[in-house]
Amino acid sequence: MPQAPINDTVTIHQLIDDPYPIYRRFRQETPVVHVKAVGRTMLTKAAHTRAVKDNPGLFSSDDPGTPQTLAFRTRTMMRKDGEEHMCERMAMAPALSPKNLKQIWVPGYEVLTEKYLDALPRGEVVDLFSLLAGPISGRKVADFCGLTQVSDDDMQRWCQTLIDAAGNFGWFQDLFDKADKVNDEVDAAVAQSIVRLQGADDQSALATMINAENPIPLSQIQANLKLAISGGVNESRDSMLTTIFGLLTNPDQLEEVKRTNGWGGAFEEAVRWVAPIQVSSRRVTEDTEIGGIDIPKDEVVMTVQASSNHDEELFDEPEKFNAFRRPNPHQSFGSGPHHCFGTHLARMTVGKTMLPLIFERFPNMQLVDPDTVKWTGFGFRGPLSMPVRLQ
Amino acid sequence: MTKIAFVTAGGSKTEVPAQDGDSLMQVALEHGIEEITAECGGAMMCSTCHVYIDDAWFAKVGAAPEEELDLLGFASCEVRDNSRLSCQVKVSSELDGMVVHLPESQV
Ligand code: HEM
Ligand code: FES
Repeated sequence: MPQAPINDTVTIHQLIDDPYPIYRRFRQETPVVHVKAVGRTMLTKAAHTRAVKDNPGLFSSDDPGTPQTLAFRTRTMMRKDGEEHMCERMAMAPALSPKNLKQIWVPGYEVLTEKYLDALPRGEVVDLFSLLAGPISGRKVADFCGLTQVSDDDMQRWCQTLIDAAGNFGWFQDLFDKADKVNDEVDAAVAQSIVRLQGADDQSALATMINAENPIPLSQIQANLKLAISGGVNESRDSMLTTIFGLLTNPDQLEEVKRTNGWGGAFEEAVRWVAPIQVSSRRVTEDTEIGGIDIPKDEVVMTVQASSNHDEELFDEPEKFNAFRRPNPHQSFGSGPHHCFGTHLARMTVGKTMLPLIFERFPNMQLVDPDTVKWTGFGFRGPLSMPVRLQ
Repeated sequence: MTKIAFVTAGGSKTEVPAQDGDSLMQVALEHGIEEITAECGGAMMCSTCHVYIDDAWFAKVGAAPEEELDLLGFASCEVRDNSRLSCQVKVSSELDGMVVHLPESQV
């Protein structure tokens, strides 16, 4: 069978600026394609990305070449398979049980939302990125982790620094150096919290992990929290801002969402439209074939869920925001055993709590100018600002 | 071959052939039953493959074990006595003709 065609024209800057037209062309012409600029074979069709993630035996998460291991100073569960992965994931899972979600995290987030909305200045232009979505997402994850003493700003800085280093395929030393400092800060905060949480009746991720009958090693506890920080703060922020943008630029949909209480659907559509985490990678454990293309053992394939979410085979007019799209089988939370650990938390807090409350509080909220909102990012993607006028 | 009928909340019924040993979730995805999202692909993490087993068949399938019941706490529609995660129910010839009801939504 043929090898993957090689694309050597697309640049990383084009992918960062606006990958969607590029992915559309790939889906039509070369759905499985080796992209020189990222050094990986990209999978751009929904059926392929889903099949890869659902088959962890053939497509392993253990990628020895990932910069994530240097960035986190250890191999995280995201890069493990089978028992090893499950053991570390299940150590943290009780913190996010349905009961805790409903009795602790969602009510806590309602209180936070009211507080952050109260603090927004009226009658002037407000950037929801820096004054609302960023800070409250940092707070949410800090509280969930059990790092209650850490500031919103530190949470956001930690998330960004860890992400930058985990995706540092250019292997720039300064990004790893910065992450190294952040690792020291996180580890120090964890040590501080442990003193407070040891033996305490507390449902946070850290308390759950240290107070378990057979705790996992401290290095893995730290790694799990760093994963929650890097995977939970910016992604919550970006999904919130994208939903707000989608609704404000489609006022008729906003009215209908209000009337039908369709906030959850609007959130799902936002993460489909612009996936906060756009790509993932998996290592092929045996010679195989995807879409008629030979994929040799040990090749690392990149599943482009951002592209799958716009696959014309599943979605009509995929480039349009449609809060009433049903069904909406996007892959923004991944699939298979590494399906996003924070899915339910994100859906309940951003989708079902923040959105109705902010539009209830500011029914006449207006975007200053949709054209000034710039979107950026290849691995992670979202808007850089969201200036609105609040009445 | 074993046949399984999926009935939507709106009442429309689709009968599909099912391979013994496959999960109900796999059968549904294979035949384009859109009401089953199954985001985690059967890894017991998402609770987006929720179904109601028809009363006439429930005894054969059995109730959800504890771990599954815990995860059903994330389901977006009401959890009832006959609720199951379809990725955890294996098809066998014994279930030939079974009727499975689909919830209104999965997220
Ligand atoms: C809208 C918000 C979010 C999006 C779009 C998102 C997306 C994702 C995706 C696509 C993956 C899978 C990566 C892969 O397959 O390799 C993932 C994994 C993960 N996410 Fe999220 N996430 C969000 C929020 C959160 C939150 C709030 C938390 C923490 C509280 C979190 C924690 C994690 C963890 C720990 C993993 C690794 C799971 C594993 O390897 O088993 N995420 N996320
Ligand atoms: S498919 Fe995720 S729990 Fe069944």
